[in-house]
Amino acid sequence: MRPTFFHHLHPPTIPARQARFRYTLAAGGLAVFLVLVLIVTGILEMFYYIPTPDQAGISIQTLVFLVPFGGLVRNLHYWAAQFLMIVALIHLLRVIFTGGYAPPRRFNYLLGMFLLVLLVFLDFSGYILRWDEGIRYALVAGTNLAKSIPLIGNGLYAILVGGSGPGGATLIRFYAWHIFGLTLVAIILAGWHIFRVRRDGGIAVPPPALRKGQPRISRFELVRREVLAMLIALGGLFLLAAFVPAPLAPPLTASSPLSETARAPWFFLWVQQMLKLGNPFLWGVLVPAAALVLLSLIPYLFPNPSAAELGTWFPKGNRLAQVVAGGLFIAILVLTVLALLPSS
Amino acid sequence: MRRWLLIASGLLLIVLSVIVWQESHRIKPIALIPSLTGQVEYCLTCHSNLAQISSSHPVQTFGCVICHGGERLALTADLAHSTLRGGANPSDYSVVQTSCGGANCHSGPASSYSDHIQRATTSIQETYAGAIASMLYTFGAEPDLNARFATSAVQAPGSTSGITSLSLFAPAPSSNPAILAFASNCLNCHISGQPLPGAKYFHFTGCAACHTPTQIVPGTNQTLPPTGQIHKLTTAISYTQCDTCHNRGNYDLRTMTFQARQDQPTDRLHDYYQPIAQFTSCEYQLDCIDCHTRVEAMGDGSLYRQETDIQYIQCKTCHGTLADLPQTKTMTDPNDLAFRLAQLNPVVDLKLGDTILVTSKEEPLWNTRLLSDGTYELFDKAAGAQYTIPLVKGSGCQQDPSRQDSASCHLCHSVRR
Repeated sequence: MRPTFFHHLHPPTIPARQARFRYTLAAGGLAVFLVLVLIVTGILEMFYYIPTPDQAGISIQTLVFLVPFGGLVRNLHYWAAQFLMIVALIHLLRVIFTGGYAPPRRFNYLLGMFLLVLLVFLDFSGYILRWDEGIRYALVAGTNLAKSIPLIGNGLYAILVGGSGPGGATLIRFYAWHIFGLTLVAIILAGWHIFRVRRDGGIAVPPPALRKGQPRISRFELVRREVLAMLIALGGLFLLAAFVPAPLAPPLTASSPLSETARAPWFFLWVQQMLKLGNPFLWGVLVPAAALVLLSLIPYLFPNPSAAELGTWFPKGNRLAQVVAGGLFIAILVLTVLALLPSS
Repeated sequence: MRRWLLIASGLLLIVLSVIVWQESHRIKPIALIPSLTGQVEYCLTCHSNLAQISSSHPVQTFGCVICHGGERLALTADLAHSTLRGGANPSDYSVVQTSCGGANCHSGPASSYSDHIQRATTSIQETYAGAIASMLYTFGAEPDLNARFATSAVQAPGSTSGITSLSLFAPAPSSNPAILAFASNCLNCHISGQPLPGAKYFHFTGCAACHTPTQIVPGTNQTLPPTGQIHKLTTAISYTQCDTCHNRGNYDLRTMTFQARQDQPTDRLHDYYQPIAQFTSCEYQLDCIDCHTRVEAMGDGSLYRQETDIQYIQCKTCHGTLADLPQTKTMTDPNDLAFRLAQLNPVVDLKLGDTILVTSKEEPLWNTRLLSDGTYELFDKAAGAQYTIPLVKGSGCQQDPSRQDSASCHLCHSVRR
């Protein structure tokens, strides 16, 4: 069989041990697949969505209730976005817990971190596009966080919101960021990220001298595995999209008050919980930024695994990095759970 | 691996079939584009069985959303109902201005008789000002019986009664215990108050308190849908609707509690509301609104001190006095209010040239008519029955000609139970 275009996107062979699901968790591949789902469903949504405050909610309701398969498309977009966030985090943890970021892959690790930041902003901007009562907290709190930054805060707020408060200018800006600004940058960076995987020598394994005749699989087998993962993911996505609809609330109006049960989107719940501690700039901007910087600098600050340890889970060489990243994620998880508790 | 691919593809196909099946079984939305809004709404998808609320509010013209609010496109109940005004009752006074108001609807100028909201929200039935004032005076909290408080803060800049505003009645916790008990037990008699528990007391709030029938009228084969689905507005308000407030029992002034009436009246005579009142046959045979005109029942836009300041209809309004026939008016203006009222509740076919009775304030008693033989007839506004109005002039009435008020009539003409 001659390799097709899709086969040629892969190296002719890759190490069998590192191509197993239990090693990759299929996270990187699924992320690419989910991005494709998001692009396709996002384009379909653009045919119906009207980015003005008085039409946004109405146009979403039209899509969901009246357009054939419209609700399905929106639900697919929603669930793919949620899973992309989860899959990206799993991918990040996999790379840290296997030491895969060690040189020469430090730069690609940074690219990945940058993609994660873009993903957070994409999720947030997409969430805001709903422009319904469900997003009020995120809109108010999120934009006010920008304002809390010393010196540049007010300017940043003006750029982001386009007025003294959220309104039509805000919505069109979030729309432009979501479908164009952020997406374009993310697609280019994602391409670069994937290119760098191959340029850096594929998945991290010990150098040839330290390998002991490890078996390899062909690109044909690899593509089959990827297709299997995509089929399963697609089935799961369709099932969820068909039976668990994406949230929808009455359109945002200027008059309605902020309810006390208002919550941030789930990936920002940990920040919302920290905001209860007081100073919004410290807890809402500095601390999350510090966590991000700490994660990004892992390849530069902490001991890297030795070459012989590469391609295995939990190498001894970068224990410190694993503990720091693990601790950070557990802290974020605990804060998220606390934010979800009714009494908090 | 190939086998797994086949199995996964098969499963995906099954999932896709389920989705296509689900899509093909989705509810088919029923669209309505009311001419007043021009915006499509899908409420009828679920509510197609609901009767049209009244002939004055045809659904093709008004639709649902213009009065009820709600999400017009949503096809899930939760979302569709999430922004309903006033829950199931958009006429509640908290939202009435948005739901029923508007210069062309019910908050227009008095000159076009479309100031219903201004009149109803300032009427004594809503403010309860008289009861509150007498309670405050009785227990020493105010020096006189002047009205200062109402069940809600209310303004009437154009009030001609001398009272232009009333404050919210909210007694301080340190007030006389009787006043506090009154405040907590006795304020559900006004239009915005939640009715007492029990089917016979049940009415909605706001305009619907009177205009939406929640009680079965004896002698009719009418049935009532479940409480939340009574979708009707009428100006033919039966006494049974008035009875949800005005025939329930009495307030015990010693305990400041409501004492529900214990008897089970089986006829209109015994269903008359005041246990000790003097009243005559038309007061229990007709419907309340046959005598209590629109101004008496809904106010005239001014704030009043008490009920008796707005009630003015007397026996002589229809029956005249020993000296005079009742006041009448011949219909010459096709835009006369009488025609509008008669059209809303067509118990009588009122025509130009007809002569009808009018009150001392020149309110048309549009359901009455002077016949060619000189007699007057009245059509009951709710039941539609026809009556001939007896006249005092030329009768054997021996009352002092200077005492022609209702109380004096009752001396002879009261009915005994």
